[in-house]
Amino acid sequence: MEQLIKKIKGMVHLRAYGKQRDDLHFVTVDKAQLEMILAHLKNYEGFTHLAFLQAVDLLEEGKFRLIYMLYNYSTNVNLGVNVLIDRDNAEMNSIHKLWAHGWQYQRELHELFGIDFPDSPRVHESFVLEGWEEMPPMRRDFDTLEYSNRTFYQRPGRSTNDPAEYMKEKIYKNYPAAPVIRRDNE
Amino acid sequence: MKLKDVLSPLRVWERAAQKPWTIKDPINDRPGADNYRGFHKNDFSKCIGCGTCEEICQNDAIDIVPVEGQETVDGDSGLRPMIDYGRCCWCALCVDVCPTGSLTMSNDYTWIADDPEDYRFVPGADKTKWQDSTVGYTRSPDIQILDYNRVDMLEIKPEDRDKSFIEIVKGYNKEQAIKEAERCIQCGLCTATCPAHMDIPGYIAAIRDDDLDQALRILYETNPMPEICGRICTHKCETACALHNNGDPLAIRWLKRYIADQIPADKYQEILGTAHLVDEQLNRKVAVIGAGPAGVSAAYYLAIMGYKTKIYEALPASGGMARYGIPEYRLPYDQIDKDVEYLKTLGVEIQYNTRIGEDITLEELHREYDAVFAGTGLHLGRSTRVPGSDHSRVYFATDMLREVTLGNEIDVAENIVVIGGGNVAMDITRTLARLQNQKYGKVQVLATCLEAEEVMPADLEEIVEAREENAVIEPAWGPKEIEIKNGKITGLHVSKCLSVFDEDGRFNPRFDEEQKKFFKADMIVESIGQGMDLSYLTEEIKAELKMTPRGRIEVNDKFQSNLKWLFVGGDIIEGPDVIHGIANGYVAARGIDSYLNSK
Amino acid sequence: MSNLSSSKYRGYEADRSKYPEMKNGKAVIDLDSHKYTKIWQGPQHPGVTGNMSVELIVNGDEIVWAKTHVGYLHRAFEKLMERRKYIQCFPLVCRICVPEPDTNEYCVSAAMEDLAGITVPEKAQWLRTLNLEMSRIGSYLMWLGGQAGSLGMGAIAQWTVGMRDFWLDLFEEMTGGRVYHMYMIPGGVRKDLPDGFKERARDLIIRTRRLLSDVENTFISNALVKSRLQGLGIITPEMVDEFGIVGPNARAAGRGYDIRINNPYVKYDELDVKMITSTVGDAYARAQLRYNDLHQSLDLVSEILDRMPEEGAIQAEMPNLVNWKIPPGQTYVKAESTRGEHGFYMVSDGSEKPRRVFARGASYTHAISVLEKLAVNISISDLAGLMVSLHTCPPEIER
Ligand SMILES: Cc1cc2nc3c(=O)[nH]c(=O)nc-3n(C[C@H](O)[C@H](O)[C@H](O)COP(=O)(O)OP(=O)(O)OC[C@H]3O[C@@H](n4cnc5c(N)ncnc54)[C@H](O)[C@@H]3O)c2cc1C
Ligand code: SF4
Ligand code: SF4
Repeated sequence: MEQLIKKIKGMVHLRAYGKQRDDLHFVTVDKAQLEMILAHLKNYEGFTHLAFLQAVDLLEEGKFRLIYMLYNYSTNVNLGVNVLIDRDNAEMNSIHKLWAHGWQYQRELHELFGIDFPDSPRVHESFVLEGWEEMPPMRRDFDTLEYSNRTFYQRPGRSTNDPAEYMKEKIYKNYPAAPVIRRDNE
Repeated sequence: MKLKDVLSPLRVWERAAQKPWTIKDPINDRPGADNYRGFHKNDFSKCIGCGTCEEICQNDAIDIVPVEGQETVDGDSGLRPMIDYGRCCWCALCVDVCPTGSLTMSNDYTWIADDPEDYRFVPGADKTKWQDSTVGYTRSPDIQILDYNRVDMLEIKPEDRDKSFIEIVKGYNKEQAIKEAERCIQCGLCTATCPAHMDIPGYIAAIRDDDLDQALRILYETNPMPEICGRICTHKCETACALHNNGDPLAIRWLKRYIADQIPADKYQEILGTAHLVDEQLNRKVAVIGAGPAGVSAAYYLAIMGYKTKIYEALPASGGMARYGIPEYRLPYDQIDKDVEYLKTLGVEIQYNTRIGEDITLEELHREYDAVFAGTGLHLGRSTRVPGSDHSRVYFATDMLREVTLGNEIDVAENIVVIGGGNVAMDITRTLARLQNQKYGKVQVLATCLEAEEVMPADLEEIVEAREENAVIEPAWGPKEIEIKNGKITGLHVSKCLSVFDEDGRFNPRFDEEQKKFFKADMIVESIGQGMDLSYLTEEIKAELKMTPRGRIEVNDKFQSNLKWLFVGGDIIEGPDVIHGIANGYVAARGIDSYLNSK
Repeated sequence: MSNLSSSKYRGYEADRSKYPEMKNGKAVIDLDSHKYTKIWQGPQHPGVTGNMSVELIVNGDEIVWAKTHVGYLHRAFEKLMERRKYIQCFPLVCRICVPEPDTNEYCVSAAMEDLAGITVPEKAQWLRTLNLEMSRIGSYLMWLGGQAGSLGMGAIAQWTVGMRDFWLDLFEEMTGGRVYHMYMIPGGVRKDLPDGFKERARDLIIRTRRLLSDVENTFISNALVKSRLQGLGIITPEMVDEFGIVGPNARAAGRGYDIRINNPYVKYDELDVKMITSTVGDAYARAQLRYNDLHQSLDLVSEILDRMPEEGAIQAEMPNLVNWKIPPGQTYVKAESTRGEHGFYMVSDGSEKPRRVFARGASYTHAISVLEKLAVNISISDLAGLMVSLHTCPPEIER
C-alpha cells in the first residue's frame, strides 16, 4: 500500500492520506485530477470495483466531499478517493464511462445533494423523489423536522414536561431567580 | 431435458400425508417468547420520572406527564412516561436506558381497542391486561447504555497524610472531569434537592463542552463559594441522582470543584461580568453579621445588585465554621480565601475581630444601615453533662477546632476519647490523630457514639478514613461517667447502647447496663452538637422579635424577621451545612433588595 | 432507452428486424406506431420484489426497453440518522431490509466501533456471527420462496416461507423481535442466548435440511425450473466490474468475492467458509449457488453453536451512550448479505450525531443498471423470475 501511495503522490497532487484499517485507506486528490487517478487505479492497480460514489455536505466549509470507494479483489483493500468540490453550483465530471453504474450514483447525488454531473446519462431524472419541490434534501441546511411539521399533521393533545421545571413548579416555586448583575451605565 | 429432472418433483408426494405446520387454534394466544419486546409495563414504585426514556426515544413516542397519586418529592419528579403506540417501534431502547429498571416490557402483543386514543397510555397507571405479566423484555444487567461507574478520585494515601493537614482529595484533571461529566443524563432531578437549586445539569454540560467560563457563570448564579462547596458540600444532590438507582451517582461535588480549581481568581471579574458594578444602589447600605457561608453569600448577591455592603466578623478571618470548624485537610484555607477575596474585589468590606453585641451593638447597625443580615452560626458547644464533664481537660470539639485554625498551641494528650459519631466528631478525631502523630509519633484517639455503626450519622468515607489514620471508632456505647483520679482524668465509662430513638422517634436511648466498657483517656472531647449564641440581640429587640417555639428567630420565606430590617439565615435558621447557609444568604439578598426597593 | 442495452450477453443473436431502429446508440420507439405497448410491472404486482416498479415497453411478449422506478418507500434513514444520536440509529437501520435486517444492524454498530476504536468482546462477536448467519438463512428461505413463486410454484414458496417463520421463532427468543431484531448495539449485543436455544437451533437445522431436500427435488432439479431459468439473465465476468456486481450474482459469474472470506469480520476468520462459485452466470446458476450457500449457512450456524464460548462479556465497556461523541473520521464497514456486499460509510465530525451515514446495498446496481440491461430482450413472463434471481431489494436502493 505504501508503494501505491508513493506512486499516487508521483502522479497527482495528493492532498491527504489516511489509513483507517489495514484494509481501508483514504486519499484526497484535486478535482481536476480525479478522473485520471481513478482510471489509473482501475486499469493498472487492480481497483476494478466501484463500491459506491457518495457525497458529504461540508456546509461550514462551503464544500462537498465526494467519495469514490474502490476495491481491489486481489489485495482485498478498499481505497476511498476523496475530492472536495465547491458547494455553490456544485459540479463534477462524470465517471459513467469508467463504471457502467456510475451514472446511477450521479443521478442520486444530483437529486439529493444538488450536485451536477453534466455528461452523465439521465442525471436530471428524478430518482426517489418524484415531484420534489424543496431544496435537495440531503443538504445539511434542509431541516427535516421543520419540513415534517409543515407537511404533516401532529397528533393533537400531546404535551410533555421537563422534570426539572416541573419539580420547581411543585416544590420550590418561590425560590427567587438569579439576580441581575447591576452594572454601570446599564 | 433429462427424464430424472422431469420425475424428480414427484418424489415429494408424501408431503400430502404430513401434518401441516400452521397453528390450528385461532382462539388461544400464542404467547410471545420470554424475551419478547411486547407492550410496556412500568413499576411506579421504582420509576422516578427522570424522563430519560423520553429523551432516548428516537420516535418521539414518549411524553412525560403528571399522574394522579404520584407526588413530587426529592429524587422523584412524580411524572411518568406516556407512550404513543402510534409512534412506538418497540425497540426497547427506553427499557435499556431506564436507570431505575422500572420500565420493562411484557410478552403480550395483541391489543384491540375501539378508540385510537386508547393506544396512548401510561404503563403502570392505566389498567392493562399485561401489567402483571412476569415475562417479556427487560434490561440485561450485562449491558450499559448509561455509564454507572464513577471516575475514581485520587486521594493521598493514609501513610502520606496522617501526620499533616495536607488536602487529601486531589481533584479531577480535565480528562477525568470530562469523562465523569459525560455520565450525566441531564434529567435535572438533583436541582430540586440542592438547597441552592443550582443548575447542576447546566454546569456539567458546560464541563463536557469544555466551556469552563460558562460553567463558572452558572455556578455563581446561585452559589458564590464553589471552591468551598466543591470540597465539603454535603452533596444531597448526589442522593437524588438518577444513576444512583443502578450505580454510582455523578460526582457532582468534585465536578464543581474542578470548575473553580481551573479558573484563577484574577479572571473571575472578567468571566462573571462583575468588573463595573453600579456604585451604589439607591445609596443604600446593608450590614452583614458574620463572614460565614451565609453572610458571604448574602454579601455577594447584595454587592452584584449594587448595594454597599459591609461584613462584621468576630474572628480574625472569614469562612465561619468552614474555616474554624472544617479541618484543613478537607478544605484548605487558601480556597476559602479565593472565594472571599473575589468578594472583596467587588467592593465588599469585611471588618474582622469585631463582635456585634460587644464592639458594636445591633442597634447601631440598624441606625447606620438600611438593612441587616445576621448569619452568626452555631458556635457554642453542647455537653453530655455526665459526671466529670466539668473537668478542665474536657473540651468541646468546635472550640478545639477553632484553636487549631487560630494556630494556638493545643495540649494534646496521649490518650484521647471523643464522644460523638457525626461528621464533626470525625473531624476532631482525625485532627487530634494528626496532632498526636506529630507529637508522639503514634495515634491513640478513640471515638465513641450511641449509634450503631450502620446508622452512625457521619459519612461512611469519614469513618473509613479515620480508621485508615489509625483512630479507633467504637459505635453503640453510651457515656456514663468520666473517671477522675487525683484530679486527673483516667477514662470514660460506657454501657452498651441498644437503641437511640423510641417508637415515636424521640431521642430516648436505651442501654444494656450489664455490658460495660472503660476507655482509657487523659483528655476527653465532646462533640454532640452545637448551639447558637444570640447574645447580640438586645432586650429591646428581643421584646419585639418573634421567635419559634424551638427558640429560633422566626423568618418568612425571604428570611426576613418580623423586624422588617433584620434578615437572618444560615445555621441559626436552617441546616446546618454550608449549602443551606449559601442558599439562605442568596434568598435573603433578594429579599433585602425587594424590601429596600419597596420602602 | 438505455444505451447500455445490447443483446450481446443473451447468448444468441436476436432477430433485430422486429426491434426498434437504433439511432446514435438510442432506440427509436414510436409508441404511436402501435407496435409497442408500455406497461408497468409494479409497484403493486405479485411478480415484483418489494415496492418498486419496472416501466416496460414491450413488443408482443418481448421487452424492448426497461426502466426501474423506486421512491415508494424512501424513508430518508440516512438523513434521519444525521439528526439522531449514535445510539438512536440502530432501531432505524434494521428497517432498511425486512428479510435481512441484521446486516444493517451489524454495519452501523461496527462503523461506530471502528471510528471510536472500540473492541467488541469475544462472546459478543460470536453472538453477532450467529445472528448474521441466521439472518442469511432467513433471507435465503424467503428468496427461495420468491424464486419459486415467480415461476408459479406457490407451494414451494409456502414451504420455505413457513420454514423461515420457525427461524423467526428463534430470533424472537434470542432478540425479542421476529422481524426487526434490534439486537446489536454499539459495543456488543443486548442479550445472551436463552436456555435451551442451542438445542432448538440444532433441531431446526435438521428440519430445514429435510425441507431443502424436498426443495431440491421439486425445484433445483425440476426440468421446468431449468427450462425457465437456464439462459435467463446472464451476467458475464466482464459485467461484474463494469456494473459493480457483488454477492451470488457475481459469484455465479465466476468472481470469487465473498466478504466473509475476503475481508473477514466478526468471527468469520475462524470459521470454515467456502467460496462457492459458478461460471455459467445465468439465473439457474445463481439459484443453484444460493441453494448451496444456504446449505453452507446451515453448516456455519451449527459450527458457530458448537464453538461459541458459554461465558463472556456481551458488550465492551462503553461510555454513557446518551452523550456519546465519536472522534472525527470516516470509515467504511461491509458485510456479506445474501445479496452481496452490504456496507455502511460513516463520517463523524466529533459531535454526538453522525455527520453522514450511507448505506450501500447490493441491489442499488442490481435492480437498476443491471436489471434495466438484462430485462431487454426477454419475455415479460420471465421478468419476475429475473428480478428475483438478481435478488433485488428496493429498500436498499432508497434507504
Ligand atoms: C467541624 C465541622 C465540620 C463541618 N463540616 C461540614 C461539611 O463538611 N460540609 C458542610 O456543608 N458543612 C459542614 N459543617 C457545617 C458548616 O460549617 C456550617 O453549616 C456553616 O459554616 C454555617 O454557615 P453560617 O454562615 O450559618 O455560620 P458560620 O459558618 O458558623 O459563620 C458564622 C460567623 O459569624 C461569626 N459571628 C458569630 N457571632 C458573631 C457576632 N456577634 N458578631 C460578629 N460575628 C459573629 C462567627 O465568628 C462566624 O464566622 C461543619 C461544621 C463543623 C463545626
Ligand atoms: S427512564 Fe425509567 S425511571 Fe426514568 S421516567 Fe422513564 S420509566 Fe421512569
Ligand atoms: S420501545 Fe423504542 S420506540 Fe417505543 S417508546 Fe421505547 S424507545 Fe420509543
